[in-house]
Amino acid sequence: MSDTTNQLLENLNALVAGLFLLTGFGIVAMRQARGVLHLFIAQALLLAASAVLLGLRYTSEHLYGVALVNIVSKAIIVPWLLRKTSPSEVYTRREVDQVLNIPTALLIALALAILAYFLGLPILNAVAPEFRSLNVPIGIAGLLLGAFTLTVRREAVPLLIGLLAMENGAFLCGIAIARNLPLLVELAIATDGLIIVFIMGVLTRAVQKQIGTTAVGELASLKEATVEPAETEVAK
Amino acid sequence: MLNHILFNLIQVLVVMAFAPLASGVTSRLKEMIQSKRGPSIYQPYRDLWKLFHKDEIVSEDSSWIFRFTPYMVFVTPIFVTLLIPVLTNYPLFFAFMGDMIGGGFILALGGFFATLAAIDTANPYGPVGASRTRMVGFLAEPVFMIVFFTVSFVAGSTIPYIVQEKWVTPLANFFLPSHVLLVLAFLMLILAEGGRIPVDNPTGHFELAMIDESKSLEYSGRGFALMKWGGQMKFFVLLCIFLNVLVTPWGLARDQTLSAVLLAIPLVLFKIFCFLLVLVVIESSLSKLRLFRIAEFLGAAFITSVAAMIAQVFQP
Amino acid sequence: MSILLVLLLPLIATVLVCLPFKKAWAAGVTVVASLATLILSARVAWLVSAGDSVTSDLSIGWLKWIAVDGLSALILVLIAFVATTAAIFSVGYMAHGNLKPGKLRLYYINYNLFVFSMLAIPVLAEPTLVWIVVELTTLCSALLVSFENTREALEAAWKYVVLSLMGAGMALFGFLVLFAAMQASGSTGAYTWSGLIDAAPMMPPVLLQTAFLLILIGLGTKVGLVPMHTWLPDAHSQAPSPVCALLSGIETTSILYVILRLFPVMQGAPNSHAETWAVVLGLISVGTAALLLLQVKDYKRMFAFSTVEHMGIILTAVGLGASVAGYGAMQQIVSHCVTKSFCFFAAGTVLLTVGTRQIASVRGLIRQSPIAGAALVFGGLAIAGAPPMAVFLSEFSILKAGLMQRHYVATGLLAIFIVIAFFGIMLHVNRMVFGARENESAAELPDNHSETGNKLHLPSSCRLALALAAVPVLVLGFYIPKPLHDLLTQAAAALTK
Repeated sequence: MSDTTNQLLENLNALVAGLFLLTGFGIVAMRQARGVLHLFIAQALLLAASAVLLGLRYTSEHLYGVALVNIVSKAIIVPWLLRKTSPSEVYTRREVDQVLNIPTALLIALALAILAYFLGLPILNAVAPEFRSLNVPIGIAGLLLGAFTLTVRREAVPLLIGLLAMENGAFLCGIAIARNLPLLVELAIATDGLIIVFIMGVLTRAVQKQIGTTAVGELASLKEATVEPAETEVAK
Repeated sequence: MLNHILFNLIQVLVVMAFAPLASGVTSRLKEMIQSKRGPSIYQPYRDLWKLFHKDEIVSEDSSWIFRFTPYMVFVTPIFVTLLIPVLTNYPLFFAFMGDMIGGGFILALGGFFATLAAIDTANPYGPVGASRTRMVGFLAEPVFMIVFFTVSFVAGSTIPYIVQEKWVTPLANFFLPSHVLLVLAFLMLILAEGGRIPVDNPTGHFELAMIDESKSLEYSGRGFALMKWGGQMKFFVLLCIFLNVLVTPWGLARDQTLSAVLLAIPLVLFKIFCFLLVLVVIESSLSKLRLFRIAEFLGAAFITSVAAMIAQVFQP
Repeated sequence: MSILLVLLLPLIATVLVCLPFKKAWAAGVTVVASLATLILSARVAWLVSAGDSVTSDLSIGWLKWIAVDGLSALILVLIAFVATTAAIFSVGYMAHGNLKPGKLRLYYINYNLFVFSMLAIPVLAEPTLVWIVVELTTLCSALLVSFENTREALEAAWKYVVLSLMGAGMALFGFLVLFAAMQASGSTGAYTWSGLIDAAPMMPPVLLQTAFLLILIGLGTKVGLVPMHTWLPDAHSQAPSPVCALLSGIETTSILYVILRLFPVMQGAPNSHAETWAVVLGLISVGTAALLLLQVKDYKRMFAFSTVEHMGIILTAVGLGASVAGYGAMQQIVSHCVTKSFCFFAAGTVLLTVGTRQIASVRGLIRQSPIAGAALVFGGLAIAGAPPMAVFLSEFSILKAGLMQRHYVATGLLAIFIVIAFFGIMLHVNRMVFGARENESAAELPDNHSETGNKLHLPSSCRLALALAAVPVLVLGFYIPKPLHDLLTQAAAALTK
């Protein structure tokens, strides 16, 4: 392929990575559960787009398979499964609580994205030039932002999406540096994502039935200190 | 040399002449999208004409600031027009007098006087609008800064004429993540600074909810006309910066002849028209945010601009 | 082929359990299947310890990703052993709650799937596939943890899933980086544990170290290493006791096994600090767990913290020098596994007897139920490392190896923490079993007694499971049979290059 086409593909891939980062921020900060879900779908599509672009750039058909697996599992089945398994009440509520206020959360998320660059730098320097791309730092940023989402969210569905977003981040990096991973593995990982959604959906349903809310972040009775029963005071 | 001065004057005339038209087209499109007929697209010209022929009433308790401000608001966009590419993709006579940051300061100066004038008359709604404008301004400022810094980082310059070339040489640069994300961030800024819908409702008539409009409540006659015209020019100038500098330099005159420059006028107007279509769709599909949610909207713009910066820095 | 059968058996059992027969059917199928698994995996281990290859007939297609060596065989047998005893214990334990048949069936379906996912960990040799089955262990056990469906159980299950999966996300990234390192080394071998060892010297050290740290932290979350351990006491105390035995006794160990697999790879690379990381993280875990053991209020949590402690001990032992302390670490894996599963059976028996998890509300257990009391004392002594039992022997050999390696500070700290943990556990156990009720008058005691009288009759399957689990705890303290010794030696050899 000519140099201009390659340049174009690389830039497009970088653009996709940039937008991926944006969806990562969005998942941290978006208020409505439905919006978070839509962002997640967008993120999965961007991941697939990046796989296709890298596949075109380095003529690796294998990556098309990855893209297909991603679209089918994350953009189609996961949202469907989420709607099936988790209570619909989550989606109808407009405003969802967060642990931190949104500007603070976003600032920390920014710091994490910058941290991701420094984490990615040694990896970028160690791999061969054809594996170097914006995917690496942004993939790590996606991973960290997903983990951060897990700490700032209280609601079940955004938490679950944070988990899946972590996986997306790892994959965005993975399609750049570990391009020849067997397709069977990719398939298995995708299936695994579906099981995650299913199990957590069942758990969410059980939590809602038992406690009447899906704000699982409010579950905090299991601690060393609070287990203290009243009887011990009487005994002493 | 001489023709550069001439082209510069043509630019100023174009901005002065077509700024009300852009505003008229926007409101007409908006009405049409809501299945109404709407006023003629020339209505802003008629309004200006009418206002210039009316008497002006100035409160006797107000200071010189109140009288001075309309001229300030009117003149600052014209100054900026001299600096930016409106019709040509090569620098004109005044182009190197200031860069994009300089242009931003000049526009901010007009805004500053408008704020002072709003407080000056002691109209109760004036200060409310003024403080709200400041709030939006404070939140938008860092985004502006990051956008400019990223631009200068990518292009190695903040002179708009140099920046605009960078995005299309080679053509693949158009798809640079920094470019696309900057465009997104700046679009949000235009919505905020232009008092457009998720931030402010330009057609609202409810004083308590006003942000931008309430600042000119006390003006009448010629002063009001100048304020209005100045505001329309400011928006037009922002659109020119956005479309010609940040998005693409396509449609601008490349030859140093009068005919090329004149041909650029319809092309640029067409570009602006296309953008107004997008703007109207955005405005019609969103609802106005609560006042304290504006911080989150501009936070999103900030994140987008920083993401642009990050994507640029991280590019291996 | 028997290795495939080992994996298939729990799956077959899962299908059979789904059949809508009487209550006893599901339990019976599970017990038989896990017993068969135990026998088959023992045979695999026997062959491996004798030096035979058990996977030579598996070279076609994806089956090439199956490989069994000494270390895998050891873990395999332990999983099968705990699965068997826990299945027997489940028969009686799950019968007490008068569960609906559907709910009970659900328990056994999850149980068998969970056992399957654990068995797959040591058998698979392709790291990303191992990652997937590690994820599966979390997902299959999540519904077991939340099985009792109380507020606390749901909270524990939620924490467990979220934190484990969060760690798994990190680990996935680590495995992808490892794959990149493999590619960068120019090696043409397969991406398996042994292929990694061969390629290690050519890998870029940065990539290898990044991958190691990511996997250590990511999977360390699931092992319960200290900064990431917060979910463990919750999940391991809220689940039904047989499940706790599986979770605490063997699940943590089998995840730790995956981390241990990386040590020979790291030794191939120049100045990797894998051992240092292991010692630091291990000691932090042991220390924190030992101190927390002093102030627990819930006896199931107590055993859970003891799991954190033992995982730390094993990791420290590996870090102290895999070649010498490796045998001790392997011995520790075995003894912890058998002892901890016994402890949770004992805890389950106590729970059946008194109906509360609070340490403070259990006093004078020995008078209330001699079996439960004796089991608790025996389990407490065994897990704390009292002399004639398995844990004592393995801890002793680790400390000895540490001293011989001249790691005086680390070994000293380890010894101190073990002693603190010993006191912590014995303090609570002693009070529960022999302590007198201070706040209740003598008149109330018989009343209380008759109230719980119907619970005093322990199901015979529980007694059987207790007895079965107690045998290795005691025997391994005196004597290690020759085949086991060979297996341990081979497993320890797999820890070094």
